Amino acid sequence: MQLLYQRGRGLIVAIPWLWLALFFVLPFLFALKISLSEPQLAQPPYLDWIRDVDDGLVTIKINFYTYLLLLEDSLYVDALLSSLKVAAISTLLCVLIGYPMAYAIAKAPDNYRLPLLMLIILPFWTSFLIRVYAWVGILKNNGLLNQLLMGIGVIDQPLEILYTPTAIYIGIVYSYLPFLILPLYATLVRLDPILLEAAADLGCRPWKQFMSVTLPLSMPGLIAGSMLVFIPVMGEFVIPDLLGGPSTLMIGKLLWLEFFSNKDWPLASALAAVLLVVLIVPFLVMRHYESRAAQESE
Amino acid sequence: MKKQYISIHLLCATLSATSLSASAANSELHIYNWSDYIAQDTVANFEAESGIKVTYDVYDSNEVLEAKLFAGSSGYDLVFPTARPFADRHIKATIYQPLNKAMLTNLANIDPVIYTSLADIDSGNQYLVPYMWGTTGIGYNVDKVKAILGKDMPLDSWRLVFDPAIVAKLAGCGVSLMDDPTEVFVAARAYLGKNTDDFSKTAITEAADVVSAVLPHIRYFHSSQYINDLANGDSCVAHGYSGDILQARDRAAEAKNAVNIAYAVPAEGAVVWTDVMVIPKDAPNAQAAHQFINYMLRPEVIAPVTNFVSYANANSKATALVDEEIRNDPGIYPQQETRNKLLVLKTPSEKEARAMTRAWTRVKTGK
Amino acid sequence: MQNPDQQFPWLSVDEEPIVRIQNISKVFGTVYAADDVNLDIHRGEFFSLLGASGCGKSTLLRILAGFETPTNGRVFIDGQDVTDVPPYERPVNMMFQSYALFPHMSVQDNIGFGLKQVHLPKSERLQRIDEMLALVQIEKLARRKPHQLSGGQKQRVALARALALHPKILLLDEPLGALDKKLREETQFELVNIQERLGITFIIVTHDQEEAMTMSSRIALMHEGRIEQVDPPRRLYEFPATRYAAAFIGQINLFQGHVISQQDDHVLVHSEDTSSNLMVRDSQPLAMNMEVTVAVRPEKLQVMANQDSDQPNRVSGNIVEIAYLGDVSIYHVQLASGKRIKFTQSNVQALAEQPLTWGQQVVLGWAYESCGVLTR
Repeated sequence: MQLLYQRGRGLIVAIPWLWLALFFVLPFLFALKISLSEPQLAQPPYLDWIRDVDDGLVTIKINFYTYLLLLEDSLYVDALLSSLKVAAISTLLCVLIGYPMAYAIAKAPDNYRLPLLMLIILPFWTSFLIRVYAWVGILKNNGLLNQLLMGIGVIDQPLEILYTPTAIYIGIVYSYLPFLILPLYATLVRLDPILLEAAADLGCRPWKQFMSVTLPLSMPGLIAGSMLVFIPVMGEFVIPDLLGGPSTLMIGKLLWLEFFSNKDWPLASALAAVLLVVLIVPFLVMRHYESRAAQESE
Repeated sequence: MKKQYISIHLLCATLSATSLSASAANSELHIYNWSDYIAQDTVANFEAESGIKVTYDVYDSNEVLEAKLFAGSSGYDLVFPTARPFADRHIKATIYQPLNKAMLTNLANIDPVIYTSLADIDSGNQYLVPYMWGTTGIGYNVDKVKAILGKDMPLDSWRLVFDPAIVAKLAGCGVSLMDDPTEVFVAARAYLGKNTDDFSKTAITEAADVVSAVLPHIRYFHSSQYINDLANGDSCVAHGYSGDILQARDRAAEAKNAVNIAYAVPAEGAVVWTDVMVIPKDAPNAQAAHQFINYMLRPEVIAPVTNFVSYANANSKATALVDEEIRNDPGIYPQQETRNKLLVLKTPSEKEARAMTRAWTRVKTGK
Repeated sequence: MQNPDQQFPWLSVDEEPIVRIQNISKVFGTVYAADDVNLDIHRGEFFSLLGASGCGKSTLLRILAGFETPTNGRVFIDGQDVTDVPPYERPVNMMFQSYALFPHMSVQDNIGFGLKQVHLPKSERLQRIDEMLALVQIEKLARRKPHQLSGGQKQRVALARALALHPKILLLDEPLGALDKKLREETQFELVNIQERLGITFIIVTHDQEEAMTMSSRIALMHEGRIEQVDPPRRLYEFPATRYAAAFIGQINLFQGHVISQQDDHVLVHSEDTSSNLMVRDSQPLAMNMEVTVAVRPEKLQVMANQDSDQPNRVSGNIVEIAYLGDVSIYHVQLASGKRIKFTQSNVQALAEQPLTWGQQVVLGWAYESCGVLTR
């Protein structure tokens, strides 16, 4: 009976690992394998590096040239840096806007919290694509925003926002803000207000109370939320494609180009692999904080 | 060679469609065509007549179609790529099956000039049947552009999108280029008066420099957005497909918004393209695909399609059946003088194509 | 011999109180958590706010700390009006019921938190932290995080943190509420020792009357936002001022009656509960026929031999219940009027004499000076 119980437990623990292996490790290994092959004009458009030669002999010919190309052509490093920059600025903007919102909701009276949270979640009820596309109508030269601003006489000439980096940031912040607010709210709402009273009682002014108590204690939520923004924004394709101008080069767009326009599957796979490595670092940071938070809440 | 907007749902489609059954029953036909590229009742009529159930999916860019075909087992029986460079490449990659011409009894209706023009990429016309064709030129807002550049400036020139002095003047009004390296680089080389078949590194750099020079004045690079923007008066000059620009013209006329759009084939030369019907090698129901091609080759079937989509078909017998208004539109059926200026794309090699895409990305981002 | 003023500062009219609560009211919605409270607390006192939950004692403490703004009235600390001073500028510190330790800081950082706010130089700060750790005897725990501490250890850290700033007044909100009974009793004495050593005024909120009696110099008994009585523990027990106070502290027998005569030092009250006249020591002026309550603690009642007649107050009835508590037993006696009263007897005494049993008829008497008259 005990043994059965232990086996059952082992099974339950194995499920997430199985999931990870099946939907993350395995596809990644596929991509890694393709990234080491050569492109060719055929179906599929790459030459496998493990090949059967007539008499049962197997040849292995690994092509590292693809990775070399990633370094050689400044385009890819530029795209990576530019994506990092966009992701970092977007995350920062989300934090600056999202933190006060999450804080306000967490501090709101009980009966207001659920409706306020609903307002945050509500946009998810429409398709992501439609929501981003709607911004085109708002931001374009004779769009709603410019009409409004010109109507009330703030500006004479329409603002060029659409197809600029500003439009990308607007789109990203709008789309990803809830991912920051929700985990942050979850930690803030658990924060015992008595701790702030204790800090005040010990001579701590309101702003310092926030800095030395609220902020450090909300770190796990803040970091989880930031990762939920940062990681997908790194690979974001739709928003820069729909709202951004040509000047914003992002790795997601480059992936699309290499895969679709160039049919260069090895390069696209190599790019994806590199992106994953770049992203795994912040992910590990998040894991670290999560485990620490779990320890503290014991 | 058509629009590429909202490319994302196509990515999703890519995933879902690969699972189509490879052993479709004989009474089923899977077609994958450009969006808005057929008359509303064409498919329904075919189904009624043949008893074949048609699954009709659409895409918005050659790249998406290509990715699916190269991945294999797409499940489609009939696809509509652009002949150059796409179908050309696909033939070389041997992903198509030769046509059984015995089943294509209406093949004689095809314009022989167009048909033979494909022979260099499809020797003996084994694989491709031409569907529609058109040109890539310049659409412009007649009144605004004339107001800015003066009445005497000739507007049938690539200078409208590539001459920095002119583009700078038009910038405030809105100038767009297509988001397509081949189209733009070939147009840029035509503007320079240089060989448009040259895809060498130098040639690509020369073309890239032309685009870089006007980059600050270009509002966006997009292959379909200009339809709306021209029609609304949001944009003044657009590099785009003939049919799309004519569609913008018609929309503006319908809206009676006093926006007057015209299409010009630049005198320096413009790309002429042909979209073709072709059957993938792994098509589950090639028989039905042949039936559908033969059906599309009927003048009375293809003429309404042209009426609906504003592109010329490749069927010489159908021209008489096309609405007079469309038949006589030089933007759709160009006169011989214009036809002489048209450039047939040479297919770049894989390496050249990639170099071009990467150069294009670099140019657009100003890197 | 100590100066009585130092021993009983509340008796001195010259001494300025360290805390003066003046006409304080606090209304939540329509509920008065504090209703026109007036209270002076003196330097060096160990002062308890005692009462049942919801009596307003915690609200009063929070008003002192500055977490609540009174609806009416003023608060003075050390002569200064602090009614509108925010908590972070008040010379008081609080030890919270839940301890409210900062979970992300080590024990020493928790203790040093307030010192950091006043920008005490690092060396002094570390020295002060060490002193505090030593004071509450948790030197070995300095680097631990709160989640690694037991309840008792947390309580000590909370105390050390609240004392680190050397506040004029330490406010303690149910400081021992979360500890088990044994630890609580030990800690009570420790708190008193620390308070005596530091000479800081302690104001403690508690619902536990024993705790208040053990530790306090004075107790304010609160009920429904009002103060029922402020007195040292002994007086509060011996001379409750109101029926509520009498019933709240310890056990007591109450007899309803009316005044029939008054002499210099005693009153005669006729009670229907005892069907007799009771003689009570009292010098407050009372009107004739006034409705009053006579209160007498169970341990003041003595079993009388039948002929024993020099006690003026005597009642008789049958023992209906006996509760054995080890050192003492509590006997419930039913009087002829139906009224039930209690008396206690130490078991040493019970063994020496003839043991009392169920159903036995007893006569109980008490001295006139060991009972009191309650008018409220």
